[in-house]
Amino acid sequence: MPRDGLPVDDGHRGGTRPASLGDNRPLSPRTSLDLIRAQGGDAASRLWVDPAPILAGWGLAWVVGFGALYLASTRHPLVTGWDWVAVLLAVLVMAAAVSVRQTWWRGRGVAGPSRQTEAMYAWAAVLGLGSAFGVDLGLTHQGLPATLAPLLWPASALVVVGLLYLTAGIVWRDRVQYGLGVWTLVTGAASTSAGVPGNFAVLALAGGGGLLVAASLAHARTRRRRGAGRPA
Amino acid sequence: MIVPADPPSLDPVIHAQARLRVTVTLSVLNSGDRITFPRLQQLLGMTAGNLSTHLRKLEEAGYVAVTKAHRRRTPVTYVALTRSGRRAFVDYTAALRALLGPTPPSRLRDIVEPLPALAEAEVAAPAPSRPRSRPHTGAPVTTHPGRGRILGAGS
Repeated sequence: MPRDGLPVDDGHRGGTRPASLGDNRPLSPRTSLDLIRAQGGDAASRLWVDPAPILAGWGLAWVVGFGALYLASTRHPLVTGWDWVAVLLAVLVMAAAVSVRQTWWRGRGVAGPSRQTEAMYAWAAVLGLGSAFGVDLGLTHQGLPATLAPLLWPASALVVVGLLYLTAGIVWRDRVQYGLGVWTLVTGAASTSAGVPGNFAVLALAGGGGLLVAASLAHARTRRRRGAGRPA
Repeated sequence: MIVPADPPSLDPVIHAQARLRVTVTLSVLNSGDRITFPRLQQLLGMTAGNLSTHLRKLEEAGYVAVTKAHRRRTPVTYVALTRSGRRAFVDYTAALRALLGPTPPSRLRDIVEPLPALAEAEVAAPAPSRPRSRPHTGAPVTTHPGRGRILGAGS
């Protein structure tokens, strides 16, 4: 029965796909609301950054990269020579590619305050890590014992990365990333107590593991938000 | 079958499939952001001519701002919802929901979450519970511009 003098719902609620609807067909309120939901969800999933793949990429990079470093540094190395450098570089490049695809690629064509925030955040990462490595280089140059360098370099990076996740949590009001920031700061500080090569195991398992847990939490959240009420 | 005219409460500028899709897509952007014409076209899967026609109607109503800029000497056309466009979309959604009666909270969350304009309106004035259904009086459904109240069912 027509409601409030409007056209009858034409039964689109079963599977409203935004692109499948013609341009000029009259809309019932129900169809309109379904269209708002379908089109809104579709546009958001293509425009908004999903942190889950980014966190998963870096988690994998840390597990594999620091894992290889650990296996190369034990008394009976399982990874020989400089193989770990190649492994580390490969996983870092992979993780960086995922991040760029999620952020820069998804936001292409969009301009304004959101993009400005993202750009400033990206520069904060570059500047923070650059500064930390500058400190590490300076200390090494000033005669830091070679045994301490493998403790200092990753730990200083983790302090910066931990603060970056805290910042992401604050800026985008994301509890998962905020929690990850706290965990990363603790992991970075704790890794130095483990000594070499134990610190690499801490970084791979606790650091990389923390990232993977955060990735699965973020993924579950995205699924809950996007999938819960989708038409069956 | 002759389709009855829409009641005046449903904004006819927005209440057309193509323009509703354009409005919804623009309302996914955060307030102050704008999007290039080609990217908007890609998100909507519409032809350039079709999109231009609908954008012009939205622009004439004051709901959309089309600005031209230059990026590395290449002209770029940006599109964004204006403040009154966001307002109109919030009111349109409120009118729809008033016509349909209570919306289950989970379904409501699905609708609102990707749309900052609606989410902001909800944060600005979380709606208290309201009568479960509204008797049909034949009167046009009124909305309350400026009250920021769009989500009647409570969540």
